[in-house]
Amino acid sequence: MMSRTHTNEETKIALHEVVAEMYDKIVKGEAPTMTLPVRTKTNIAFDEKLGVYKYGKKRSTRDATSLGSAKQLLRALHVVEFIEEMIDAGKSSTLREMYYISEAWGLGKFGSQNESNNLAEDLEVVTKCLREDFKLRPEEDGARMIGNLTLRERNRRGEWMRINARDDVGDSGYGVPYNVELEKIELLEHDIKFIMAIETGGMFDRLIENGFDEDFNCGLLHLKGQPARSTRRILKRMSEEWDLPVVVFLDGDPWSFRIFASIAYGAIKTAHISEYLATPSATYLGITADDIMAYDLPNDDLSPRDVEALKAELSDPRFADPWWQEQINMMLELGKKAEQQSLAKYGLDFVTDTYLPEKLADLGLA
Amino acid sequence: MSGTAERMAKNQKQVAISEFFEKNKHFLGFDSLTRSLITAVKEAVDNSLDACEEARILPEIRVQITKIDDKKNIVELKSEDNGPGIPQRSIEKVFGQLLFGSRFHAIRQSRGQQGIGITGVVMYSQLTTGRKTHVRSKIATEASAAIVDIGLDTRKNKATKSNETREIWERPDGSLKEHGLEVTTRMKAKYQKGRQSVYQYLRMTSIVNPHADITFVDPEGQTHHWPRVTERLPTKVESIKPHPHGIHLGTLQRMCTESTDSRMTVFLRNNFSGMSTRAAKELLEVAEISEKAKPKSLKPEQYRALLEAFQGERTLNNKPVKLLNPPTNCLSPIEELLIKKGLSKTIDSRFVTTMTRSPTVTQGNPYQVEVGLIFGEGMLADKPVEVLRFANRVPLMYQQGGCLLTKAIESVDWRQYGLDQAGGRGVPKGPAAILVHLASTNVQFTSEAKEALADNSEVLDETRKALLEMGRGLRKHLEKKKKMAKTQEKFELVNDIIPAIAEKSAQILGRPVPELAGSITKIMSAVIAESETVWNKETKKTEVSITLFNYTSRARSYTLLASWPEREGAAMENNNTGGRKEATGVWAWKLETLDPGQTFVIKYTLSGLEKGDWTDTDVFFRGSQDVIGATKMDEKLLEEIRRQEAVRTTDEEETSVESKDVAEVLAEPEVPPPTGQQTLFGGGE
Repeated sequence: MMSRTHTNEETKIALHEVVAEMYDKIVKGEAPTMTLPVRTKTNIAFDEKLGVYKYGKKRSTRDATSLGSAKQLLRALHVVEFIEEMIDAGKSSTLREMYYISEAWGLGKFGSQNESNNLAEDLEVVTKCLREDFKLRPEEDGARMIGNLTLRERNRRGEWMRINARDDVGDSGYGVPYNVELEKIELLEHDIKFIMAIETGGMFDRLIENGFDEDFNCGLLHLKGQPARSTRRILKRMSEEWDLPVVVFLDGDPWSFRIFASIAYGAIKTAHISEYLATPSATYLGITADDIMAYDLPNDDLSPRDVEALKAELSDPRFADPWWQEQINMMLELGKKAEQQSLAKYGLDFVTDTYLPEKLADLGLA
Repeated sequence: MSGTAERMAKNQKQVAISEFFEKNKHFLGFDSLTRSLITAVKEAVDNSLDACEEARILPEIRVQITKIDDKKNIVELKSEDNGPGIPQRSIEKVFGQLLFGSRFHAIRQSRGQQGIGITGVVMYSQLTTGRKTHVRSKIATEASAAIVDIGLDTRKNKATKSNETREIWERPDGSLKEHGLEVTTRMKAKYQKGRQSVYQYLRMTSIVNPHADITFVDPEGQTHHWPRVTERLPTKVESIKPHPHGIHLGTLQRMCTESTDSRMTVFLRNNFSGMSTRAAKELLEVAEISEKAKPKSLKPEQYRALLEAFQGERTLNNKPVKLLNPPTNCLSPIEELLIKKGLSKTIDSRFVTTMTRSPTVTQGNPYQVEVGLIFGEGMLADKPVEVLRFANRVPLMYQQGGCLLTKAIESVDWRQYGLDQAGGRGVPKGPAAILVHLASTNVQFTSEAKEALADNSEVLDETRKALLEMGRGLRKHLEKKKKMAKTQEKFELVNDIIPAIAEKSAQILGRPVPELAGSITKIMSAVIAESETVWNKETKKTEVSITLFNYTSRARSYTLLASWPEREGAAMENNNTGGRKEATGVWAWKLETLDPGQTFVIKYTLSGLEKGDWTDTDVFFRGSQDVIGATKMDEKLLEEIRRQEAVRTTDEEETSVESKDVAEVLAEPEVPPPTGQQTLFGGGE
């Protein structure tokens, strides 16, 4: 188990390098700059060693020749100063708190929360530190989990609590905290054969109600749409530390394909830490484009935005393998998409009695 | 003319007048409680404006509405003016007789065109409250004012007078009122706010009557004041004779039977405009009427034949008889500068552009289109623009969608001029108001309600042209604004952000704050001109400052030129940096050297202008390096201005032929100086 965290001193040095780049440019009589990797699909490449997608070599320079970028640089300086203050004071804050604190930064204040989130990511990318190193916490809440697995979580009072995610939790399952690193969570033992990650809360609850986790000896993880970092991280840890297969059960539309890509191959926005968040062994279970036809599922027409997204995926390196190309092209040809819950067409038990067993059997898991 | 009117009124008398009123109240404007009040105000104010105009008095009008009985919807309307007043013996005629008034058959531009006017108000008041209308009138030649209560004997179509007396008319401040009229009347009506309200009617009236001072006290006791913005009264309009293209059979018949002329040729020459002797002879020839025929004794089929000849249905050698156009001096447009002032006083905004087209003729009727647009803060950006429609200086408040003027606005693709418009059709959206005014001797409405102009492809086309031309002014303004915003950004960048970056980075690293000049020159690498034109409330003068910044690494030399309203009578004062006159309305300053990092400031004051007359100064330059915020001087156009100037000085007489203003001529280089002003001052005195 690798540790990605940096010491406070390492973090400060890395941040100072960013500041020095700006300072030195001014001394040279040039416009201050910040150099960072291009964060689009055109600059992600498969890393053979890590088995995930990482940023490539393309760099972009943000220089202070336009008002917008100059303000970004100034904001970055304020953020650096703020992080240093937190490190020195032994405090931490949420990204949202930082957004509000920026009200006092005058010209360097953020226009929106989105800006502050992006800038925190920029700094992560440039310094190769994690936002945990920056003492910044995300706002996003983690997912829910249910199944016969036991872990240890250190609570607010610093005491370790042993929790079984089947016996010690209610119907809503175990809530995954935002920090799932070793200092917070230890994975103890389990009696499951695989983990199933599920996109919608409705489907997650359906499987629990039908007792699917016990019937099929598996752990269920609710992704809540595009999964938060901690959700992806704990999935990766369980898959790696317990050597468990991971299957992903999503809606059948272009956006679900993207969710899968971020789970299995790494998200474009966080490609700098893909090896830390992605689960390369994860398998896409459904809804696939051929499921829509094979099961004659109720469906919707693809919207122009859907079509655009699918076309973009065709040129996304993460979807380069033939299976994905076929699925995407098939969906485009079909012009249709379907939700997980459309399986209810055949009754509430169809998904647990027929659909999932059939799909899992294909993978040798049932 | 009044003889005719009275004769017509007599004919009307057969029907019980109150019944006539009841039946026709929708087109008399009394069909709803809210509209009745607007109509009453409209009749009173129109009368006041017309009377003042005829007597060449600058109008001061005060309208007050008081709620008397909220439950029964009874309100009192008091309207006062400083007009010539009405002689005591004429009061009953003016207020108490339907269809009295000289306007009814005059062919000229006038506000009201139906002649029922204030009598309708007296009648409505009597029908709904049983009360008489109280009138106070003072004429200049008498020491005291006449007081009288007017009612109507609806069977006899006659006014009834009561409580007649005379008294001294004192103003609230104790001074004596010299002349004027005050009408106080109670009626069943409802005061409402919004787009169709008395407030809106008066506000619109004040826009197109910039010479009037209007005060309105609403039922809540709040006073609204629209001050006078010009001392110039509207041009006195001339009556013209009807043009053969615009005449109807009935009118032609009546003109013939009433004529005392001995022969048709004389009749045609005397009674119609656009009629030459040749045309009269040719018309009679194609209508197969003898030139010597007596107009009085024409037969019905001959009227028809003559009308067909008028309208080109009977032809001479396969061609309609050629007629001259009617004279157009019978029109009184508001004119660009005054529209601008009118709009500016009622809507507080930065940019106004206007356009007055030349008068032209449709179906024998002279008409003229004027448009105006006001744009900027203070108006809602995501709502359709406010459409202000006027016919002969009278606001049109109802039936906006069915009106030709609205259709003209909707036919323009406003997106190209910088306004939002879904699909390029319909009323555009944006923080703006569009004014359209049609002046004509014969305004064609869609219905008797006289709230929407009827379709006419020529008028529509003319209105559209005016709007397109005006739109170009808006586009230029918006482009200039965009450019200025960009320059502004650059300044913020080098003046605020870069120093902050330098300071903060130095602080974090614990190093000294670095020198910035190099970075700034590198970032800007341009020469920038910034100009500001502001109205100084205290001195009542317009202050202009132009600053030139050299943000390049080399010394530069330029000649800077600026437009100024010399031809509008402005004087340039406190111009400390000297310079010289380059041409009329163009001043020039020569800068030998402007070192890197150096700035040069020009300041001067313009006097002899009013607020809003000059809000934007165009800056030009001569020199090799481009100047952001200024336009390279087009020497050919400057030549053109000088040439026109020479023509003007050698031909002083021809003042009526206005040549274009400097700013307008300068407005055409490849990169045109964006300004809304060329259309404002281009129209002449």
